[in-house]
Amino acid sequence: MTGLPIAAAQAIGGEDVAVTANCLPEHVNDVGGKAVGLGSLLRAGQRVPASFVVTAGAYREYRRGEPGELTPRLREAIVSAYAALCEPHGRDVPVAVRSSATVEDSAEASWAGQFQTFLGVSGAAEVLAKVEQCWAAALDPHVGAYRDGHRLGAADGGVAVIVQELVDARAAGVMFTQHPETGDRSLIVIESSHGLGEAVVGGDVVPDLFEINKITRQQHRSRLGTKHTEHRLAGDGRGVQARPVDPARQQAWSISEPEITALADMAAALEAKLGRGLDVEWAVGTAPSTHGAQALFALQVRPITVPPGKRPERPGRPERPGRAERPGTGPGHDAIGHILSRLAGHEPGSGAG
Amino acid sequence: MDQGRRSFRNPFDIETPPGADGWESMYPAYLQFGEELRERDEQKLWFFDQIHNPEPMYPFDLIMTESWLVALNQYTTRVWNLPTALGIEHRIVNGYLYLSPNVIDDPAAMAERAPVFAERARHYFENWDDIYAKWVAKATDCIERLKAIRFEPLPEREPIETVLGARGTTTAFDLLTRYSRYLENMHEMAYYHFEMLNLAYGAYLTFLEFCRSHFPAITDDLVARMVAGIDVILYRPDAELRRLAARAVQLGVGGALTSGADPDAVQDELRTSEAGRQWLADLDAVKDPWFYYTTGSGYCHATRAWIDDLRPPFAALADYVRRVQRGEDLSRPLDQLRAERERIADGYRSLLDADEVAGFDSLLALSRQVFPFVENHNFYVEHWHHSIFFDKARELGAVLSAAGLLEQDDDIFFLHRYEVYQVLYEAEARWAQGVPTRSEYIWREEVARRRQIYAAFEKWNPPPALGVPPEKVTEPITVTLFGINTETIERWLAAADEGRPDDRLLGLAASPGVAEGVARVVHQVEELDRLEDGEILVCPITAPSWSIVFARIAAAVSDGGGIMSHAAIVSREYGLPAVVATGVGTRVLRTGDRVRVDGGTGEVMILERAGARADEAAGV
Repeated sequence: MTGLPIAAAQAIGGEDVAVTANCLPEHVNDVGGKAVGLGSLLRAGQRVPASFVVTAGAYREYRRGEPGELTPRLREAIVSAYAALCEPHGRDVPVAVRSSATVEDSAEASWAGQFQTFLGVSGAAEVLAKVEQCWAAALDPHVGAYRDGHRLGAADGGVAVIVQELVDARAAGVMFTQHPETGDRSLIVIESSHGLGEAVVGGDVVPDLFEINKITRQQHRSRLGTKHTEHRLAGDGRGVQARPVDPARQQAWSISEPEITALADMAAALEAKLGRGLDVEWAVGTAPSTHGAQALFALQVRPITVPPGKRPERPGRPERPGRAERPGTGPGHDAIGHILSRLAGHEPGSGAG
Repeated sequence: MDQGRRSFRNPFDIETPPGADGWESMYPAYLQFGEELRERDEQKLWFFDQIHNPEPMYPFDLIMTESWLVALNQYTTRVWNLPTALGIEHRIVNGYLYLSPNVIDDPAAMAERAPVFAERARHYFENWDDIYAKWVAKATDCIERLKAIRFEPLPEREPIETVLGARGTTTAFDLLTRYSRYLENMHEMAYYHFEMLNLAYGAYLTFLEFCRSHFPAITDDLVARMVAGIDVILYRPDAELRRLAARAVQLGVGGALTSGADPDAVQDELRTSEAGRQWLADLDAVKDPWFYYTTGSGYCHATRAWIDDLRPPFAALADYVRRVQRGEDLSRPLDQLRAERERIADGYRSLLDADEVAGFDSLLALSRQVFPFVENHNFYVEHWHHSIFFDKARELGAVLSAAGLLEQDDDIFFLHRYEVYQVLYEAEARWAQGVPTRSEYIWREEVARRRQIYAAFEKWNPPPALGVPPEKVTEPITVTLFGINTETIERWLAAADEGRPDDRLLGLAASPGVAEGVARVVHQVEELDRLEDGEILVCPITAPSWSIVFARIAAAVSDGGGIMSHAAIVSREYGLPAVVATGVGTRVLRTGDRVRVDGGTGEVMILERAGARADEAAGV
C-alpha cells in the first residue's frame, strides 16, 4: 500500500484527492467549506478523525465521463486513498462519506444538511458508490433551487466529498464559542446527546445543554435534554441505526464534567487560532485510531451563522446595531459623564450624551 | 388608572392581626396610612423592607429608619437633585416597615434638575479620594463623640461638686441634654451614611449595566468580583479572628477555645495560665473597634455586636483554631485574590472589540475607586456606630428602670425616641419631687401592652408588597439599595396570583454553584448553633459576620440582599452557592426541607418537604 499522495497546497486544484490537512481557505472552490474546516481543525492541533477529500476537480472529471461511471483514474485515486486510511488497522474501517459543497459553508447561509451524508460506509466498493451518490445529489434540481433562493448564482463550482473515519460516538453534538442567539461572547454553548451527532444536528432529540463561562470555566446554566433516541454505528460497522434510549440514560447527562472541560478547552484553543464566533461539531467515542479508547474529536468547524429572521440584536461579528447611539464607550471615555447620564435617567447603555 | 394593571393588596384593606388592636399608638401618625392621602397612597407600590428590617419595628429602633428617611431623601431630593427621583416614603403596617419610591418622569422637571445634579455629583466623583479621606475623619469623630456620651443613674442626692462648682444645673438636667446630643449624633451619622453611598452605587450600577449590555449572561457575582475591594476594613473583624486563632495555637492555648464551653468559661480557663493571659490581652487590644461588629443588619437593637455577645466570635475562633491545628493557613491570600480579580477583568476585556475597551476600563477604574467606600461605610456606620448607639440605649434603659419608670432595661425599645424624651422629663420630675408619681405606673403598663402587640405582629406574615406597582422599576436607588426591579415585582405578582408557589423560589444569583441539602431556617444569630454541617442556611439577611457559619454550610439563601449585599460578598469569599433577595425564603422554606440552591441562576427548588419525610419515616 502507498501512503496518501502528498500534494503541495497550491497543487490541490489539480488533484483528484487532497490531504485534508492541506485544505486552506483559498482552496474552498476545490475542496469545499467542510474540508477547509477540517483543515483548520487539524492545523489548530485538534484531534480529528483521519480523512481525505475527493476534490471538486474530481467531480468535474466525473461529469465529463459517462453518466453513472467512474473513470479508472478516479476509481484508482479514491480506492488507494481509502486503502491508505485502512492500512494502519489492517481492515476496512467504517467511514462517513459526506459532500463538502463549495458554497455550503459560506458565511452568508448555512446549508447544513442539504447535502448528502452516509454514515457507516465500509469497504472500497461502498465508498466508491457513496462518493458517486454525493455527486448525483449535487445534480438534484432541488439543491439547485435552494441555491438560487440564496442568490448565489448558477455557476457550478462543483462538489467535493470528504471520506472520514467514523467515530463510534458515545456522545456527540455541537458547540458554539459564543451564544448563538444573544451573541454573548463570554459564553460557550454546548449541545450534547447520546450517540452520533446526527441526533442533535438533525433535531431528533432535545439535547442536553451546557452554557460555560469562557473566563471562569464555570457552568452558567445547564438543562437536561430528553434524549429518547440515539444513532449508533451498527455492530458490523455497516450503517447507523437509530435506537431508543432507556429512561435511566435519558435522565443521565450525556457527557461528564471532564468532557465539558475538554470541550471548553477546545473552544478556547479554536478561538485563539481561528477567531471568535465558531460553530463546532464534536464527538466523544472510539475510532480505529484510538484502539478502543474514548477520545474527544473535533468533527467540523465553521463561523456561527444565524438563520434569517432570527438574527440577534447583537451578533458576535463586529457590525452591531445601535453602536452610533452608544457614544462614550470609545477612546477617551468619560466614565463620570457616563454615570451621571445614567443616574440622570437615561436608559442603561445610552451612554453620556 | 389602568384597569388592566395587576396589583397587590390595597394597603387600606390590611387586617390587624389578633391581639394587635390599638397598635397604631406605638408609632408616629405620619408613618401610617391615613384617609387624607388614601387616594394617592392606594395607587402606589409599597414594598416591605425585608433587607434592613425583616422583623416588626421596635418603636425606639425607628430612629434608624427615620434618620435615613431624612438623610437619604435629602441627598436625593435637595442636595444632588437626582433628576429621576424624589424621596422614599415610609409606612408602618402591623409593625412592619413598607417603603415607596417616588420617581420624576416629567421630562421638563428632569431636564431642569439634570445640570444641577451633574455639577454637584461630578464634584464628588472628581474629588472622590479627598472627600473620602474627610469622610473617614468625620465618621470617626462622630463615633468618638457618641462613645463619650454617658447615661448614669440619677443619684440619691446631687453630688457636692454641683454646689462647690456653683454649676447651677444638675445631673438630671445632664441626662436630658445628653439624650438630645445622643439623638443628634444618630441623625448626624445618617447624613454621613448617605453622603457618598448613592453616588458609589450609581457608579457600580453603570458598570454593571455596561457589562450586561456586552455580555448578557454575565452574573452580578462576576461583576462584583471585578470591582470588590481586596483589602477593605469590612473584612478586618474576620481577619482578626483568623489571626487570634493562629496566635492561640502558637501560644498553646487553642484547646481552651475548642473546648465547647461558653465564652465566660473559656476566658476563666485562659486566665489560669500566663500564655492564656497573653492571648486575652491580645484579644482585648483588638476588641475596639473590630468587635463592634453585628451579626444583623445594624438596624435592630436585638442583634448584639460581638463586643456584647462573644458567642459568635468564639464559635468562629473554635472553628479557626481547629483549622490551624490541621495545618491550614487562614490568612486571606490577598495577592491571589488580586490576581483573580485581574484575571476576570482581563478575560472580559479580551472579549471586547478595540473600541469598547476604553469604556470598560474607565468604568471599571471608577467603580474600583468608589467601591471601597461602599464596603467600608458598612463597618463605620452599621457595625461600629450603630452597635455603640444601641449599647447606649441600653445604658439609658437601665437609668430609667433604676428610676422606677420602666420594668426592665430593654423596655426602652418599646418607646419611640420622643416618648423617651418625655419619660426622661418625667424621671427628672419624679426625682425632683421626691414623692411617688403616676409615671412609674403609666409607662410600665404601656410597655406591657406593647410587648403583647409586638408578639402578635411576629405571628403575622407581611406581604412582600402592597398597592399598585409601576410598569417598570428602573429608578436606581430602589434597584441598588433594595434589590427591587421590574422582574422582582413580576415575581411577587405571580406568587400572589398563585397563592405562593410551593416548590420554587427565585432570587438574585449571588454566588455561583449548585448545592443540595437540608434547609435550616435561622432568624437570629442565637439560633445559629442549631445549624448542622452541610445544611443550607435560610435566613432573613446575611451580614458578613454570619461568616462564622459559612465555613460549615453548603449554601445560603436570604430573603433580602441587593446587588452588592454582604451575603453575596461572603458567599463568594467562601465559594458557596448563594441566592439572595428571595423575599419569602424564611416563610416558604421550613427547616428540614430538602432544597436545591442554584447560585448561578438564582433558583431555589424545594425537592422534598420536611413534613413529607417525617410522614414517610412514621410509615404514613
